[in-house]
Amino acid sequence: MSTPPSLAAPPRTAGSGSRRPRQNLAVAGRRRAILAAYSFVLPGFVLYALVMLYPAVQTLLLSFREWSIAPGKPSPWVGLDNYIQAFSDPVFVDSLVNSAAYTAFTVPLQMLIGLGLAVLLDSKLPGRVAFRVLFYLPVVTSWVVVSLLFQYIFSSGDGLANNVVVHMLGISSENVSWFQERWTGMFAIAILGVWKGIGWSMLIFLAALTAVPEALKEAAQLDGANAFQRFWHVSMPAIRSALSVVFILLFIGGFNVFISVLLMTGGGPGNATQVPLTYMYQQAFKFLNFGYGSAISFTLTLIVLAASALQYSWSRRKLAD
Amino acid sequence: MNHWKSGVAVTAALASLTLAACSSSSPVATSVTSSGAVSNELTGTVTYWHAYSADSPEVSTLEGTIIPAFEKLHPGVTVKDVPIPYDELHQKLITAAAGEQLPDLVRADIGWVPELANLGVLEPLSTSMPDFQTYADQVYPGTLATNKWKGTYYGLPLDTNTRVLLYDASLFDKVGIAVPTTVDELMAAGPALKEAGAYAFADNGAGGWNMLPWIWSAGGDITDADVTKATGYLNSAESVKGIQNLVDMYNAGYMPDIILGDSGGLQTSDGLATDKYATILDGPWMYPIFAGQYPDFTVSSSQVPAGPGGSVSVVGGEDIVMTQSSTNKDAAMEFMRYLLSEESQLAMAQVGQMPVLSNLGPQLTSINAYYAQFVEQLQTAKPRPPTPAWSQIDSIMQDEIRSAMRGDKTVQEALDEAASQSDALLAQFN
Repeated sequence: MSTPPSLAAPPRTAGSGSRRPRQNLAVAGRRRAILAAYSFVLPGFVLYALVMLYPAVQTLLLSFREWSIAPGKPSPWVGLDNYIQAFSDPVFVDSLVNSAAYTAFTVPLQMLIGLGLAVLLDSKLPGRVAFRVLFYLPVVTSWVVVSLLFQYIFSSGDGLANNVVVHMLGISSENVSWFQERWTGMFAIAILGVWKGIGWSMLIFLAALTAVPEALKEAAQLDGANAFQRFWHVSMPAIRSALSVVFILLFIGGFNVFISVLLMTGGGPGNATQVPLTYMYQQAFKFLNFGYGSAISFTLTLIVLAASALQYSWSRRKLAD
Repeated sequence: MNHWKSGVAVTAALASLTLAACSSSSPVATSVTSSGAVSNELTGTVTYWHAYSADSPEVSTLEGTIIPAFEKLHPGVTVKDVPIPYDELHQKLITAAAGEQLPDLVRADIGWVPELANLGVLEPLSTSMPDFQTYADQVYPGTLATNKWKGTYYGLPLDTNTRVLLYDASLFDKVGIAVPTTVDELMAAGPALKEAGAYAFADNGAGGWNMLPWIWSAGGDITDADVTKATGYLNSAESVKGIQNLVDMYNAGYMPDIILGDSGGLQTSDGLATDKYATILDGPWMYPIFAGQYPDFTVSSSQVPAGPGGSVSVVGGEDIVMTQSSTNKDAAMEFMRYLLSEESQLAMAQVGQMPVLSNLGPQLTSINAYYAQFVEQLQTAKPRPPTPAWSQIDSIMQDEIRSAMRGDKTVQEALDEAASQSDALLAQFN
């Protein structure tokens, strides 16, 4: 890295003779830069390889086996059997539907409310720092604590949720047993997801909005644009990349919902509110079907990866337009 | 030449090191005492994993009374106990089995023993412990049965419990009816209690722990004696009747929704203490909990409501097992024997762990009067079927009985389905 450019042996590259020395210098410099970049990336990559990549590859290999936990016992290779079992397993298919519904409910709400709050808190509001902290608080609170809290809120007795539904809104004439049914249970879990996630998307949007040049907004104002038009035509295009990043990350997070489901319903009653990760956990650690559990987690990974890649390329094309 | 020589020297040095290491870690060091007699003094460390709850006096009794007393008897042995939260212990055992990192001894939930034995990580005690039968004869048969897998015993019971009928006596006084002793009397008490704003009975799920007392008391069963098939047992007329009684009570409004697995509902103990539920089935650990949370509430107990099969409850508790990978089996076995001694069983009884030694039964009421109903119930209580497939069968039962409660299926249809699915699981282990 400390080698001076003159001492570095430049690689022979094709090109016209007169430009060669300068080009060689440029190549050497680029090589150095690349080397420096790699050396900065290396520690992180080693850690990533050790705690993420290696287990992921092992999990993939596990998913093709009827894996036996006890060391020394045979773990026969079963090919795609575990994957075939997954797609003919109604509980797994239902769990995918549940997590898709959870994602479809929580992602737009988190984004809309998060964006709305970000716009409000971007303006010169008195006490806005306090508000920012308040809205961000759920994000840093432990999932375990808030899951138990929401279990009380959605209790079958006279909980807060039943108070709202029966007395304030009058939608239902009697108390609802939220965790008794699939969709009311998923609804309670999703409400927790939205409440806990708003602060995070708000923070990202807020950062993006702060980066929108004041001059542009002022220019638009001088041109007679109203507040909404300024937001829509000036701020929105500037935060589009933040929007797509938040969307992709929330989408991935939605399909990977786990702790709240595990703690609030445990996938029950029966398997009604099972999501892929709770089902994977049950199969692997409760029933000791580690091969099948691995196949479930890999199927989920592939689905999420494919969907994210699609969204990514789509949003890139939109940005390029 | 030189290289070759030094190579030999290094090998020899390594070999001697290895030998030295072997001898120092050997659990039995033979020494000659002054009188000339040879005595086998146990040495080494015994690692012991358990899930005694850290916020109760259980851990302090183990670490403050039992282990020091044992170490005094065997000065060469150190017992290292590792408390692990109950919810994590199973997962930790599985990962430790895969990673070959198991401790010497484990206090395992009775339901895990067949599963661990099937994985091949447990020491077959009935063949490798010379005095196994002596201990086997001293414990309740129902608790010993939980250690059996394919004709071999892989552990000894350590503590036991069972579910009895806990009731709210003031509620029965108020409506003026006697506490039910049979299923029929319980069902007959439904209307009067409903009138008074209470449910006759409450339970929080339809798994084996919840349902087995009703099935057994009705004269039904789960599997054959060898645990090879469920069809003809789980879906027999008697089993169906046992579940049908509960479905009828639920449909009549004598039982609350939590039976369907509603995790947000009023829990059994809270409902019992607040006059909402007249009876529940629960274990001896509830007494300290009621005393702490509802000091004004007096809980009463009696036997599980009887049916044609008698009053039969389900055995709970823990077994002590030794791992095959233990490097200090003699010392570990000696600690096991000590844990089953009257001394340490009584010490644990003081803090709510019911002893497994049947001859201690009569003494228990002087420690805690409430043990009486549990000791009586244990005479007939049965363990859940000892099979590695139990957690899956449990989950299937829960699912199917729930759909019968909801009216999606008849009880017969639900149990037929549960039995045929269980058959397939049991077949894997035959």
